[in-house]
Amino acid sequence: MTIMEPRKHGDASDGMVGGRQTRFEGNLKVTGGATYALEYPIEGVAHAVLLQSTIPAGRVTSVDTSKAKAAPGVLLILTPDDDLGLMTASDWYGNRPENQPYHPLPREVSFNGQSIVAVIAESREQALEAAKLICVTYAQTPAVASIDDPKAGEGKVMGNLTIGWGDAEAALAAAPIRIEGEYSTPREYHVAMEPHGLTVKWDGDQLTVWEPSQWSHGMARSYSEWFGIPYENVRLISPFIGGGFGSKGAALAYSAVAAFAAKKLGRPVKLAVTRPQNFTSYGGRAATRQKIKLGATEDGVLQAIVHRGASETSTYMDYPEQTGAATPILYKVENFSSQHRVVPVNTVTPGALRGPGKNPSAFGIESAMEELAYKLGMDPLELRLKNYADHDYQSGKPWSTRRLREALTEGAAAFGWSKRSHEPRSMRDGNQLVGWGIGCGTFPVIQAPSEAMIRILGNGRVEVVSGAIDMGQGTYTILAQTVAEVFGIPVDQVEVHLGDSRLPGSAIAGGSMLAGSILGAVHKAATAARDELIGLALSDEKSPLRDTGANTLTFSGGRIAVPRDQGPSLSLPELMAALGRDEIETRRNTLPDGATPQEHHQAWTTMAKVQGPTMGEFSMHSWCAHFAEVRVDEDFGTVRVSRIVSAFDCGRLYNPRLVESQWRGGIIMGIGQALLEEGLVDQRNGRTVNNNMGDYLVPTNADVSDIQVISVGIPDYGASALGGKGVGEVGIVGVAPAIANAVFHATGKRVRDLPITLEKLI
Amino acid sequence: MTRTIHLSLDINGGRYDLDVEPRVTLLDALREHLALTGTKKGCDQGQCGACTCHVDGKRVLSCLTLAAQVEGRQVTTIEGIAAENGELHPVQAAFVEHDAFQCGYCTPGQIMSAVACIREGHAGSDEEIREYMSGNLCRCGAYNNIVAAVREAAEMA
Repeated sequence: MTIMEPRKHGDASDGMVGGRQTRFEGNLKVTGGATYALEYPIEGVAHAVLLQSTIPAGRVTSVDTSKAKAAPGVLLILTPDDDLGLMTASDWYGNRPENQPYHPLPREVSFNGQSIVAVIAESREQALEAAKLICVTYAQTPAVASIDDPKAGEGKVMGNLTIGWGDAEAALAAAPIRIEGEYSTPREYHVAMEPHGLTVKWDGDQLTVWEPSQWSHGMARSYSEWFGIPYENVRLISPFIGGGFGSKGAALAYSAVAAFAAKKLGRPVKLAVTRPQNFTSYGGRAATRQKIKLGATEDGVLQAIVHRGASETSTYMDYPEQTGAATPILYKVENFSSQHRVVPVNTVTPGALRGPGKNPSAFGIESAMEELAYKLGMDPLELRLKNYADHDYQSGKPWSTRRLREALTEGAAAFGWSKRSHEPRSMRDGNQLVGWGIGCGTFPVIQAPSEAMIRILGNGRVEVVSGAIDMGQGTYTILAQTVAEVFGIPVDQVEVHLGDSRLPGSAIAGGSMLAGSILGAVHKAATAARDELIGLALSDEKSPLRDTGANTLTFSGGRIAVPRDQGPSLSLPELMAALGRDEIETRRNTLPDGATPQEHHQAWTTMAKVQGPTMGEFSMHSWCAHFAEVRVDEDFGTVRVSRIVSAFDCGRLYNPRLVESQWRGGIIMGIGQALLEEGLVDQRNGRTVNNNMGDYLVPTNADVSDIQVISVGIPDYGASALGGKGVGEVGIVGVAPAIANAVFHATGKRVRDLPITLEKLI
Repeated sequence: MTRTIHLSLDINGGRYDLDVEPRVTLLDALREHLALTGTKKGCDQGQCGACTCHVDGKRVLSCLTLAAQVEGRQVTTIEGIAAENGELHPVQAAFVEHDAFQCGYCTPGQIMSAVACIREGHAGSDEEIREYMSGNLCRCGAYNNIVAAVREAAEMA
């Protein structure tokens, strides 16, 4: 494969890879022309609403639907009494239990807010009204409300998350300087602006699903397995998705219910999950607890890290929020020990939320490092640089690229860190205490096989086609830029088709793995299409370029020509016309040559072929350093983040304008995590109390001031074909500890449990 | 409740006739009955701002407004602010230029709020813009760029 050297670009209209092209689908989004899942006009659609459990654990003994059935417009009511005839689908890795029935409206209740009844009516208003008339009777059993419930216990150790090297306990005991802290994070939620939901339609045994998706192929697989129909019979359509952040990667229980209802009724069904129901229809980030002990020499050289973490999970699945994920790789340490437990409680199984694992993990280790710095009387920046990891001590492998040192030093310079006064409460502006803090972040480079199709059309337009998803990261734009560069044409000569399980398979839009994975396939397919065109242009007797004697052609400025020659040049449509071709189509993937159809299916619909960060000869990660300034009102304890400077090493940036937006978005979500966001659980009944956007607080415009983002990365061709590392996840990682550290610097109060609310400071 | 009422609504300068139950919100009337899906439903309880429209030029939350309430008044949605020749409204153009959105779902509400914010005279400084745009949540976190876009559009207005 030809790799194009990255070039410097500055022009905002620059469509080449690395240019600051504006968002490809921008006009659609600002005019209301982008169509999201629930907005397709479907003839004859019926409306489904869900009824959720009001107990945390027990059994549904009866559902009285008599009044609801008699209500106007009601078409169907589904309860635990109905056997939907579905079979359990595979997990993300493609493992599937044999002959296991699936009950998306279960009789056994595992958490408060579990969907147990669905009402389908002619209109949504009628369905909602009828749902209020349903009376559910339960036999309640004892429950564990949350990780704070005394009945929760210690949980179970996850063996695969127990890691260590050296002798951490002995080295800690021998270290002259020791600190110890216990850090906790609450339940946090995605709160994507577009609520979950779907519209489903059957045509015979063909199923069409309009559903917001981070992974069209993987979700289509679930439907085919639930209903026992061939994978090819399912089409999941999701060209626009109103935010995901990890929540829209799987088809969920309500999805199965809607699809069943549509089948039973013989008409399309739309199911809109209400905002409150979104809080329990899928899991947010699990609540976490960590104990960290650090040992160091008197001049600040780390001797040992001992880490013990735990996270909530559900009673029916072990899902770890890996509190030890960032702990082993941020610093050089010869003696390390980490263990993680999951604590089952009566909640929906938690899930991946931006920066899964790394994010709460960084809150622990990055808070602890600053605690060590203050114990030593050392500048926290100096402590971090002093313990800089020259390689990955966990895997023993060299870094592919690691510009964390540059992130720290260049971020510090831009922030003005040298003007800091070390003592807590030593910087003040009127009645505001000013504090500065640092938090480092990391996220692994993950890759998955992907496929793409390129079509050169007779009119000179070039289409790039992929089942990949754009949920706002910029997939449309960077695919268009890649194709524009290969063919030397403007971006507006490119068409991009995404978000459909019938299109070529792709990595999930998650784990920051999509851009690196899909661009490899797109670049390969586009280059192959260009090579095919060159071959035709030099050999076809109808081609004006045939007799030039050239052995290749250049594509630049919309013209195709012989290199270093004043001879003929043609535009793409002119060449296609000369060749008498309506279309040239190529399809390429990044699987090994000779992969079987089964391997293709597995690659696009499961996570089985995903490559982790240390599966090759290097250890590959994105890195960042956040510098936060807070202002704390001395009387009221209110905290404002007054500015943030963040420096990132994410390798080569395919489009800095869009990357900067993603980084800022991650940082802003981190501000929410530090100061606002906290899922509150009623300890009596396991209910999520603040299950709405007025009570579960996410940052507003007024909560966010100046944020400066800096790129210090260099292309990393080990990490991806075009040199980029992941961008989307890493932005949030390290923000919360940077703010917590700044709050300590401002006030002298160390808050170890997020969020940092004013009652913890007064 | 099965009774329907007949409404004749003035939306984006056009007349729309529809028969709906009296409890149908303006938001659902737009999205479910009139195929005007540019206006978004983020919470359906007046907390997120995604459904912001203009009624007689003032911003309202269409999820907390009954369709029946706006008869005889002028409703403007995101579909109605670009010029007839398709040229973007200056706020729309500024949102594209400043990358003031990612997923795009809060964007129509942000833009309708921004147009009104400028008209209200509440776009005099970054701080004022932040305050008067805080009824519109953006979970992708495009706030810096939204402020930049509103500021530029206000300076041009």
